[in-house]
This record gives sequence, structure tokens and C-alpha cells, in this order.
Amino acid sequence: MMDMEVRSTSGAGGGTPPVPVNLRRSKAYYRFTQQNLPACKPVLTPGWVISIFLLTGVIFMPIGLIALHASQSVVEIVYRYDTECIPESFRSNKVAYIKDSSISKNCNQTLKVQKHMKAPIHIYYQLDNYYQNHRRYVKSRSDRQLLHGLNYNATSSCQPEELNNELPIVPCGLIAWSMFNDTYTFSRETAELKVNRKNIAWKSDREHKFGKDVYPFNFQNGTLVGGGKLNPRVPLNEQEDLIVWMRTAALPSFRKLYGRIEVDLEADEFIAVKFVNNYNSYSFGGEKKLVLSTSSWLGGKNDFLGVAYIAVGCCCIFISLLFTLLHVKNPRHESESSPQDSEIQMTTR
Amino acid sequence: MGGWDRIRGSRTRLGGGGSRNSQASDRQSSSRTVRLGSVRPQHPGHRTIYCNDRDANLPVRFKGNSISTTKYNVATFFPKGLFEQFRRVANLYFLMISILSTTPISPVNPVTNMVPLSLVLLVSLVKEAFEDWKRLQNDMVINSSPIDILQDQKWESIPWKKLQVGDLVRVKQDGFFPADLLLLASTNPDGVCYTETANLDGETNLKIRKALERTWDYLLPDKAAEFKGEIQCEQPNNSLYTFTGNLIIQKQTLPLSPNQILLRGCSLRNTEYIVGVVVFTGHETKVMMNSMNVPSKRSTLERKLDKLILTLFGVLFLMCLIGAIGSGVFISRKYYYLGLDESVEDQFNPNNRFVVAILTMFTLITLYSTIIPISLYVSIEMIKFIQSTQFINKDLHMYHVESNTPALARTSNLNEELGQVEYIFSDKTGTLTRNLMEFFKCSIGGEVYGTGITEIEKGGAQRNGLRIDGVKKATTTVHEKGFNFDDPRLMLGAWRNERDPDSCKEFFRCLAICHTVLPEGDETPEKITYQAASPDEAALVTAAKNFGFFFYRRTPTMIMVRESHVEKMGKIEDVSYEILSVLEFNSTRKRQSVICRYPNGRLVLYCKGADTVIYERLAHGNHNIKKTTREHLEEFGSAGLRTLCLAYRDLSSDLYETWNEKFIQAKSALREREKKLDEVADLIEKDLILIGSTAIEDKLQDGVPSCIETLSRAGIKIWVLTGDKMETAINIAYACSLINNDMKQFIISSETEAIREVESRGDTVETERVIRASVKQELKRCLEEAQHYLHTVSGPKLALIIDGKCLMYALDPNLRVTLLNLSLNCSSVVCCRVSPLQKAQVTSLVKKGARKITLSIGDGANDVSMIQAAHVGVGISGLEGMQAVMASDFAIAQFRFLTDLLLVHGRWSYLRICKVVTYFFYKNLTFTLTQFWFTFQTGFSGQRFYDDWFQSLYNVIFTALPVIIVGLFDEDVSAPLSKKYPELYKEGIRNTFFKWRVLSVWAFFSVYQSLVFYYFTIAASRKGHNTSGKIFGLWDVSTMAFTCIVITVNGRLLMACNSITRWHHISIAGSIVAWFVFIFLYSGVSTPYDRQENIFFVIYVLMSTSYFYLTLLLVPVVALLGDFVYQGIQRWFFPYDYQIIQEIHRNEPEVSSRTELMEIGHHLTPDEERSFAIAQLPRETSKHTGFAFDSPGYESFFASQAGVLAPQKPWDVARRASMRSQQRTPKKN
Repeated sequence: MMDMEVRSTSGAGGGTPPVPVNLRRSKAYYRFTQQNLPACKPVLTPGWVISIFLLTGVIFMPIGLIALHASQSVVEIVYRYDTECIPESFRSNKVAYIKDSSISKNCNQTLKVQKHMKAPIHIYYQLDNYYQNHRRYVKSRSDRQLLHGLNYNATSSCQPEELNNELPIVPCGLIAWSMFNDTYTFSRETAELKVNRKNIAWKSDREHKFGKDVYPFNFQNGTLVGGGKLNPRVPLNEQEDLIVWMRTAALPSFRKLYGRIEVDLEADEFIAVKFVNNYNSYSFGGEKKLVLSTSSWLGGKNDFLGVAYIAVGCCCIFISLLFTLLHVKNPRHESESSPQDSEIQMTTR
Repeated sequence: MGGWDRIRGSRTRLGGGGSRNSQASDRQSSSRTVRLGSVRPQHPGHRTIYCNDRDANLPVRFKGNSISTTKYNVATFFPKGLFEQFRRVANLYFLMISILSTTPISPVNPVTNMVPLSLVLLVSLVKEAFEDWKRLQNDMVINSSPIDILQDQKWESIPWKKLQVGDLVRVKQDGFFPADLLLLASTNPDGVCYTETANLDGETNLKIRKALERTWDYLLPDKAAEFKGEIQCEQPNNSLYTFTGNLIIQKQTLPLSPNQILLRGCSLRNTEYIVGVVVFTGHETKVMMNSMNVPSKRSTLERKLDKLILTLFGVLFLMCLIGAIGSGVFISRKYYYLGLDESVEDQFNPNNRFVVAILTMFTLITLYSTIIPISLYVSIEMIKFIQSTQFINKDLHMYHVESNTPALARTSNLNEELGQVEYIFSDKTGTLTRNLMEFFKCSIGGEVYGTGITEIEKGGAQRNGLRIDGVKKATTTVHEKGFNFDDPRLMLGAWRNERDPDSCKEFFRCLAICHTVLPEGDETPEKITYQAASPDEAALVTAAKNFGFFFYRRTPTMIMVRESHVEKMGKIEDVSYEILSVLEFNSTRKRQSVICRYPNGRLVLYCKGADTVIYERLAHGNHNIKKTTREHLEEFGSAGLRTLCLAYRDLSSDLYETWNEKFIQAKSALREREKKLDEVADLIEKDLILIGSTAIEDKLQDGVPSCIETLSRAGIKIWVLTGDKMETAINIAYACSLINNDMKQFIISSETEAIREVESRGDTVETERVIRASVKQELKRCLEEAQHYLHTVSGPKLALIIDGKCLMYALDPNLRVTLLNLSLNCSSVVCCRVSPLQKAQVTSLVKKGARKITLSIGDGANDVSMIQAAHVGVGISGLEGMQAVMASDFAIAQFRFLTDLLLVHGRWSYLRICKVVTYFFYKNLTFTLTQFWFTFQTGFSGQRFYDDWFQSLYNVIFTALPVIIVGLFDEDVSAPLSKKYPELYKEGIRNTFFKWRVLSVWAFFSVYQSLVFYYFTIAASRKGHNTSGKIFGLWDVSTMAFTCIVITVNGRLLMACNSITRWHHISIAGSIVAWFVFIFLYSGVSTPYDRQENIFFVIYVLMSTSYFYLTLLLVPVVALLGDFVYQGIQRWFFPYDYQIIQEIHRNEPEVSSRTELMEIGHHLTPDEERSFAIAQLPRETSKHTGFAFDSPGYESFFASQAGVLAPQKPWDVARRASMRSQQRTPKKN
């Protein structure tokens, strides 16, 4: 701006004919200082309001219908097993049961498939009332260590799960320490359903956040034993369970991908699930659920987007109708303004 | 001299009791005064300077002449600059938050709060540094500019900074005085020199300074080297127009007066060179002592903004309290995965929930710190700065072509205050009227002469239904500047045939002799021009010229008048009158006298002045003339004319001699010289004989009546505060359509019979009591009546007219409330005969008592106090001196430009700033609230929702620019429409756009929007998101939410715009694009240190899902839907005034206004354009002063409150420096 000003003024002050570029610039500058820039001045008249609402409604309704349809096409089985997989005798003292490592945690249940489920069928576990987003929890990790292993020693952020025998635990931190360790095996009639547990984590996590030569050699073998264990011979970037777990959830109720069944399940089929109910959700009154779900282009079964779109679309159309009605019934004719207008014309004469 | 003797005595005593050393030095320097080691006793009230003797001055350690106006130096810049910055509460708050965020209780990285804070500080500091750098450069230039000082009988050039007190210096023509100097000698005859004081008080007329006769000879170096003297004078002080001291030279004591003092900052004109002694140096010069900063005004809106910020602090506290209680309740060992074993740190220790709550409180304060908009103040400052420098200063509508004066915003922090003004206090002369005085009528010896009819009389006649045809101009009419008089009885010597030719003669002689005008140019009646300190004087002298008494030359002791011969027609003779004494005009005396001796030895005192003071001093008898003249005076007054009474007195030489002794004594008095002079003058100005009176027409400024009408339609009430007589004031008010006959007028005047009678008795106590009682009674009566009128449905409009004397009593604390109640009910108020102090009192009465926003406008020195007292001070820059401009916040060339300044710039600024502030409030609240909702789902742990960098850049990058653009360009209706519908301005007076109601609507929608952002993104993200069924984590969701916020918040701004320019599009799209560019880069790289790679690849993951696109469309639309419905309904059913106007003119092409403006641009001739461009160039603030001279060069409002009267205008022999332009142009060529 300053530059322009100098140019324009010096041009005028010197009295030399300004070069065309200058002229355009100084004209723009002139318009700027006179506050007369070309502008569109939208006036939100009833007509505009009505048509904008109508347009929004018209666009949103079909999107909503498509999204809802996609969501509806997803078949989902949700089964809460933490209450079922406890022997009768321990029902009153669940915590004692889960903490007693001498008791077998195996548990067999049967699920009925309501509708045909097309492969791939995603297996999720869902935890409720589990604060993976607690501040103390979220920060208790070391991304550098996950990538570089023992080459990286500054793991103070991992407290209180930081060291074991003066060596940093790999992977350190509360998140890794509290890894989910229930397992599920599925069988149909007698044949076992194969669960593919590869490719359940985001590719970027696997490739860039977890080291391929970092091995969990001292994980969960000190005094501090928490949740799941890891195979010390498998590098972290292949420990997809861990990778999934370490992508902390936003809400205290969350799902995480466990694996996939890569065959179709027919309607009314019965599936036997063998749970190993290791993970302690009883202390804090949480819930554990097993979820089997197909997917659409939209992802899992989530009516929210579709319903929201439809609701907004409906609202818009309703409002536009309401406004139209008002506009027809009680039009804002120019009569209130026109006499004033003519009066103004007179005063300006 | 008693004091001096005492000092001497003590000196000797000390010397006598001193060591041998001091005795030795005593002996050694016997020729000088006694020296005492390093300390010389300086009287606390005086300083002693040994001229031309550096050694003698050495021990006192006078300050050097180098000046520094910088605020900082290299070492102090950071500490001091930062300290200045942290005096702002918002910055201090963020500093504390930043410190807090380095502790482990912080949920966010310190960077979150550091980055915005440091950016804000950086911007401010760079600005400060830049300004200070410019100041430093200026100082350096000044300090090293050369000056000639006397060394070894030669003039040697040294830089200013090496100059010391007592040095003899030589200043050449057009040179600046390097320090305050005592004038010793000048190349002009009579030791006279001319100075220009434009840098001090802005007055462009030249002032004469005259050396003492005793020192005239010390001009050449060899002679000057002989000069040895001692100056005893007052200590440095800031009073520009006073100086008391004595020059002791060869055991003679000569009194010094301001007449011998040349002030730093002034320059020498019309004199080859002068020689002077340095009296005050550097920071002790009067001009530097004056350069303290006047406390800057803050706008009302800004003060309300503080309240808003406080409210936000309250909200912040509440939010933190809720979170803290929640965290105390939540924390429990049962969440074993949080690792809350026995050794856990305090902030998560379930054993002490109270400590957990307290620490979480701090955690949350750092987390929610964004609720306080940190960049708000910086943004507003930038907006206002551009508004004032680019828009107000460059508006062609406010550019006065004739005087080549654009508008000038002297401060940028009151722009929006201009949009809320409810009361305008206007000066009359020079503001409403042109200050172009024309001799119009006169009354001589009880006879009225002059046939003209004033505009006001015409207006009055028209109001009464009479029509006055344009009077045919007689061919003989002489019309020149300052003279618009026609009466065959007087013109062309016809006065000799009048009834009383002697009176006429005295009248004309008085006009020709009793003045301080300086003639310039050829000594012929046609070519001569008169330079006078006041246009009245020039008009009077011009009149004398036209009557045949042509004043053509002035010397310090003589006035030459070419008189047409009294007895014989057509013959002329040159008469020289010896001027013996001049008793100058000042505002307390209100009169001016000259004692002169005719060539035939007759001694006469001619006096002219205000009728009141002259009548008090008339000799007894001659009641007829007195009575008729008084009638004439009233007649003139009612015609809107300014009157002066002329009188004379014959003196005997004995009387004169005895008086003159007293006069000289008074002149050389060291203390209270002014007062003594006044007292002495009173001794001789009595027993006067009335000659007659003059009447001068004061022309109205262009466009004043229509401007006033527009402003009153805008709901602004205009009060006229003037020093003029009541009749004049009322008539001007009529002429300006402030008052009309439909109005009910309340007149409270001290000119009633009862009061006059009491006054004539002369008992001041009694008079006061009577006036007080009557004022009280009048006020009560008027108020009752006014309230009665107000209760009737279509009562007339009310007007109050009050004079200064009554006002004095009405402003008494007891009556103040009554006066306020009455005057607020009146649509116009005229206060006449008011002093500058009363002007300020009335202004602050309304400002403080009624809590309304006030604007004062004036042009002269007497308006300064009023200008400083009001919320907004406007000075008229133009013909008169610049004191008013120097004290003002805005300067315009014409009263009528107020329409543009208030209705266009003020209204827009107000609208824009309101929009900016509310928008800042909204966007930060919305953002912080999403964070707040998240807190509820994290076990109140204070986990942050967003990445640190999102939060830190939100305010300074992703949402910063568009709001500034709106603050600059938003226009609800175009400028011509703003002026066409002044009623729109009322929205500003009512503060429609920054009410708590408006804010709560914004707050409501920010709660709504934040809920939409949070819950919609969360709800939509719970299940798998693409065909591979993978799940999002916390950071994916928050990035999604943040993207929606950036888009919505920017879109919301677009919705709030009334006009959308290219810049809006660029900045809004730019902000959104900036966010995406940022996130692409930021999430694309992983850094080599442990920064918790939460965000790594997040955006790419997000964008690989359909969820991202669907949410991106849904959330902003839903969020904005609420606002849109509200806007639609509001506009439809409860429209603001401006919205109605917008709709009326919806279909009119915008072109009309544009072409009109372009036309103005084209109307300017190349010359005019060029002069505009030159006027727009950075002011040539003379590099030799180099400091912002914020305080006007004389007593400010505060001084006048302390009872000091505003000093008189420098009524010394003066000349308008039209020559300044003459000098500059040739140099360029």
C-alpha cells in the first residue's frame, strides 16, 4: 500500500504522465482510499432466503437418502459378552474373577446372523466407559521410541510405565501397558472361520510410526504387568493389535478393529464364538462388546449422517415453505417504501 | 532585588568560611563573581548565566543542548518495550498463561500460547521500533545540524548538541534557533527581528522580537567578543509566552521580557542574521518542556469492550470451575489403566481430590485461554490506523480545494466514537462563521451609517414574511476584502458635511492609529495589504483607508497616516503620529489603547474595545450619545454584527509622564508583570469620551445551515458556545437554522433590569446573591415549563439560551442537575458570552452528567479547553492559528465536512468496529466451547481436543485477515445514502450494534455452533469409515472438527458482510486455503524430536474416507443454518434502519454513487489534484523540531481549570507569513 501511495503521489506531484501500470494501480488505490471498491452488496430479501433454503433442502435430501440407504445396507451384530462370560459364582465379584489368573477365562457363546453378511466382515471390540482420552493416558507414550526403540532414551513422557530394570520398556507408557487382550475365535458349525488380523491398522501408522526393527523385548515382564502381551520376536510395525490400540479414541466409548472374516455369512446362521475374557473392564464398570459388521462405501452402520442430512433437508424445505406462505399472505410490498422513496426524490431535487 | 542580595550575602559568607582553595579561586577570578568549588548557589527560582564565558558557567552543569525524543535505546528497548506491551491486560494474561503452560499441569504445549502472544508482541514491537527509529534519526539530524558560535572572535560552526548555556550564537535567515536565546543584536535596524512560530503554536504570522537598545552593537564578531554580561532569569519552565529576567551588563540592570526571547523551534525570517545568548538548552527549552504527552482518549466502545473482556474472564472462570469440580469427582483408582498408584503426582492423586480440582482449574485456564481474543487489540489498532490514514485523511469529500486542506485524523483511536456522537459543541466564530470580517456599519456620534443588510436580517425578514429585493449596488460602492460598506454620507470625504465632523475625524483617526496592524507591499492604497493578528483589525484599518485615513507605514515609534486634508477636499497630507505607549489587547482587558502624540504636540489616548469595558470607563455626561450608541450597538448585535466601541481621551503631558513611570516600572517587574501592567493600564484608561462604534459582519461558512439541518436529522443536538453577545449568538443560531420561530425559547440572561440595577450599586456580594437567586428561579421555571411541553403530544421544540454570567451560577453544583435536565430536553442550546473555561465546563457537564458522547468543534485558541474536554475534539484547520488543531483529534477544513466525518466515516467505523469486535468474540467463544464440550468426555482431565499448533494459529492465521478486511471495507449503505438518510446515524447514538443483547445473540449462536461442531463430528465418527472398516482416533476427529470450524467461522463472516469485495473473497478463501496448506504440510512431515506424532498423516487418512466429505458439507451448513434463519427473520420482521434503506435502493445500480465520486475526482483540475497530492505527502514536519508536539503551546484545559485564564493572543505586531510559500516554491525550481 505504502509503495502504491508513494508512486501515485509522486506521479501526480511530479506532473509526469504516469505509465499505464501506475495508472491502474493509482486508480485502484484511489478507489481504496475513497472506499469505493467494486463490491457486490447482497441483500437478504425474502426471495433470496426462500430460495436458499429451498436449494439447501433440495441438495440435502437426496444426499441424506443415499447415505441412509448405505448405512441401512450394513449388517451389524453387537454382542455384549463381559456380563455373559463370567461364571455364576463370580457374578457378585467380577473384579476378583478377572484378576485371578488361575481361573480359565475361556467362554463360548453363539451368535445368530440375522441377515446375509457379505465379506469382508469386520470384527470390532467395543469398550464403553473407558477413558482412552484421559489427559494422563493420552500423553503416556513415546512416538520416538515406538519408531526407534532403544536408540531413543528420553521416555519421560511414558511415566509411570517407563522403566524396567533401568531400561526403558519397549513400548513404554500407559497406553501400551493397558493393551486390550481379549481374543475371539469364530467357528461355523464345525469349521473354524478364519480371521484375518492383518491390515487392521492405518497404513501410515504401520509404516511411519512404528519401527520395523523395534522389538518389545521387555514388555510386560517386569513387576508392572498390565494388559496384553506382545510377541517379543515380532517387530512393532507388525504388531497391528498394538498399533490399533495406540491410536487413542476420541470418546470414552469406542470401537477398535480386531480382524476380518473374509467369507460371507448367511442369514439365520449360527456362529460359535470362543472368547478369552482377559481384559479387566469390571474395575471401572466398563462394558465390552463384540461387533461384527459389514461395510458400505460410507463405512460402518451409522445412520447419523443420513438422518442428519434428511433432517436438515426437511427443515430447510419446511422453512422455505413457511416463509413462502408468509410472503404470499403478507407480502412486503414496496408500498411502505415507495412514498418515502418519492419523498426522498423530492428532497434531493 | 532583595533576594539577590541575600544570595550574594550567603555566597560571601560561604566563601569566607571556605578553604584556602576557594579563597585562591576567589582571588583568581576577582573580575568575575565568586566561584565556590563545584557548586554555585543557584536560587531555586532563578538561574544565573554568564554570557560568553564557558568557564564561569561550567560549575553549574547546565544541561547540554542535545535532545533525545526516543522512547527507548538499544539496551532498554526490550525491557521497556515489553513492559509497555504487558501493561495491556490481555497481553499480561497471555504471558501468565504461557508461563503456566510450561509447567506439567498444562495440557498444551507452551507453543500454543507463546506463538500468538509472540506474534502479537512482534507486530507491536516492530511498530514501536520503527517509530522510535524514525525519532532517533530525527534527533540525530537535529543534534548535528550546524550552528555558528563565537569562539576567539570568530564565528565557528559546531553541531547543535555541543552548544552550551551562555554561548553567543549567530543564527542566519531562515535558520532555526538551536536553543532558547536572548536576542542581543540583529542586522535589521532597531534591533528587530522576525520569527516564525509555526512549529510552536502553528500560527503562521510572523512575530517581532526586539533586542534591548543597550545590546544592539554586539553584532560583529570582534565586537560581540567583548560582550560580557550576566543574565538572571527564571528557571526553565513550559510557559511559552512568559519570560522574566534581568540582564546585568556593566553594573546596569536591564529588565528582560518575552520580547527578547527567541524560542527553540522557531525560525528567523526577514533578517539577515541575529546574535543571541543561549539561555535554555536541550530539554530545558520551553518547547521541549511543553512536549509532554496529553493523555490519549479512549473511545467509549473500547471501554465497553473492556467490560466484555471482563465478562469473558467470568465465563472462563465458570467453565474452569465446572471442569475442576468434575475432575475432583471423577478421579478414582478404579481406572487402573490411568496408573493412579500411590506415587502418583498431585494433580491426579485420588487421595486429595481438592488439590486435584485446584490444579485442574489451572490446567483448564490454560486450555481455555483462547476464549480471550488475543489478537483483537492489535487487529483493531491496525484497522483504525488504516481507516484514519487512508480513508479519513484522503477523502476527497473532505478535501477543501480553496485552502488546499484535506481532513486530518490526528489520533486513530477515536474513529468509531465519531459514529456515536450525540452532542456537538460548536464554537461560532471561524467555525460556523467564516472569520472573514467586513466593515459593515458604524455609529458615529449617535448617528448610524451604512446601508447594507446582513444575511441574518434577510433571513429574519423572510421568516416574518417580508421579501427583500436584492439592493441595487451603487456604482460608487467600494468593495474590497474587509470592507463592505456603502453610505454616501461618509464616502469620498462627504463626512465633512455631516452634523459632527469632528467626531468623524476622531473616529477615523482612532481606526487608523489604534491597532497593531503591519502594512505590507507598496505604499499605495490599491496595493497595500494589511497583516493583522485578527481579521477585525485589518477590516478596521481598511475602513479607515477607505474613509481617507490611509495608514501606510509603521516604525517602532511612529505611525504614518496619509490623511485627506480635513479642511480642503482632495488634498492629502502625510501625518506621522508618535506612538508613546501601546496597551495591548488581552482577553481580560478586552480593549486596546494607544497613546500617541500628534505632530502638533497633542497627546491622545485612543481606545477601542468591547462595549461593556468601554462604557465602564467613560467620563460622566454626554448621556445622549451614550444612550443612542447603546441602542445602535444592540441593533448591530441583532443583525449579527460584531461591535467595538471607540473612545479617546486627551492627556496632559504631566499626567502622561507620571503614569509612564509606573508603566515602565510595571514593565520591568520580575513577578506578576501581566497583572501589574493591567493595573497600571487601568489608571489611564478612564474618563474616556465615546466616539462611536463599529459593526463588522461575520460571514457564515459554506453549507453550514444545511449541515446543521442534516446533523439534527441524524439525532445530533448542536450547542453553540460563543463569546459573542446574546443577540449575535441568537441571530447566528437563527441563520444556521438551529433556532426557528416555532421553537419555544427559554432565555436566561443576566441583562435584566433587576440585575443591572443591583450591579450598578456595585456591591459584589449582593450582586452575586441576586444573580444566583434569579438564575435558580429561572431555571426552575424553565424546567417546569419544559416538562409541561414534553408531556403534551405535539409540543414545540425547545431551545435554551443562556449567557456566561448566568451559566457561571448555573454550573454551581446545586443547580447543575437542573441545568442539565433542562438543557437535555432542549433540541438546541446557545451559550453566549462564555469563557473558554466555561466552554469546557459545559462540555464536561454533558459528558459526565448525561453520559452522552460529545464532540467539540472549534478553530481558535479559546476552543482548546473545550476540544480537550469532549470525547472527540475537532479542530478547524484553515485560516486562523493552529492551536485548536494541535489539541484536536480530528481536523477538518470546514464545518460542513462534519457531515462526512460523522455520517459517513464515523458511522462506518462504528459499524465496522462493532462487527469486528462481536465477530472476534464469537469466533473465540465458539472455538473454546468445542474444547469445553470435549472436557466433559475426558473425565474432566483437561485433555486438549486440538493439536497445539491448530490452537495457536487459529487466531493469528486461519481467522485473522478476513476480519481485518471486513473492518476496512464493510459498507452497509453507500456514502451518498448515508448522507441522504441522516436518520441512520441514530443507530450509532443508540449503540444498536454493541449492546449486550446483540452480544448475547452472538453468544447464543456460538453455543449452538460449537455444539454442532462437536457433536456432529463425534457422532458421525463412531463407526468405521470406509470399506476397510478402520477406525478413527482422537486426532482424526479433532482435525475434522477444526476443519469445519475454520470453514464455518470464515463463512459466518461472509454472511455478516454487507458488501463483498474482491478482497473479502481473497482473504476468506485464502484463510481456508491456508488451513489446508498448513495441515497438508504439517501432517505430512514427521519431525526428529518427540512431539507426539498425533497429527501425522491425519488429513490424508481423513481425506481417504467419505466421512470427511459428507461431514464437511453437513456441519458448516447446519452450523450456519441457525444464523441464517435468525438473519432472515430479523431482516424480515425486525429490520434495522439501514436494512430498509438497503432494500429501498436494492435495485439502484451502485454506479450512481461511483460515478459521482469519480466525477469529483475528475472535477479537480490538474493543479488541484497536484496540490491535493502534495497535501497528502507526509507533512513537512520541520526536521528541526522533530518531536510530536502534542500539547498546544499554552495553557491546556487543566491549567484553565486551575483558574489560569487562557493567555491573550500574541497581539504583538504581526504579519501573516504568506511569504512562507513564496520562499519555498522558488527553492524547488
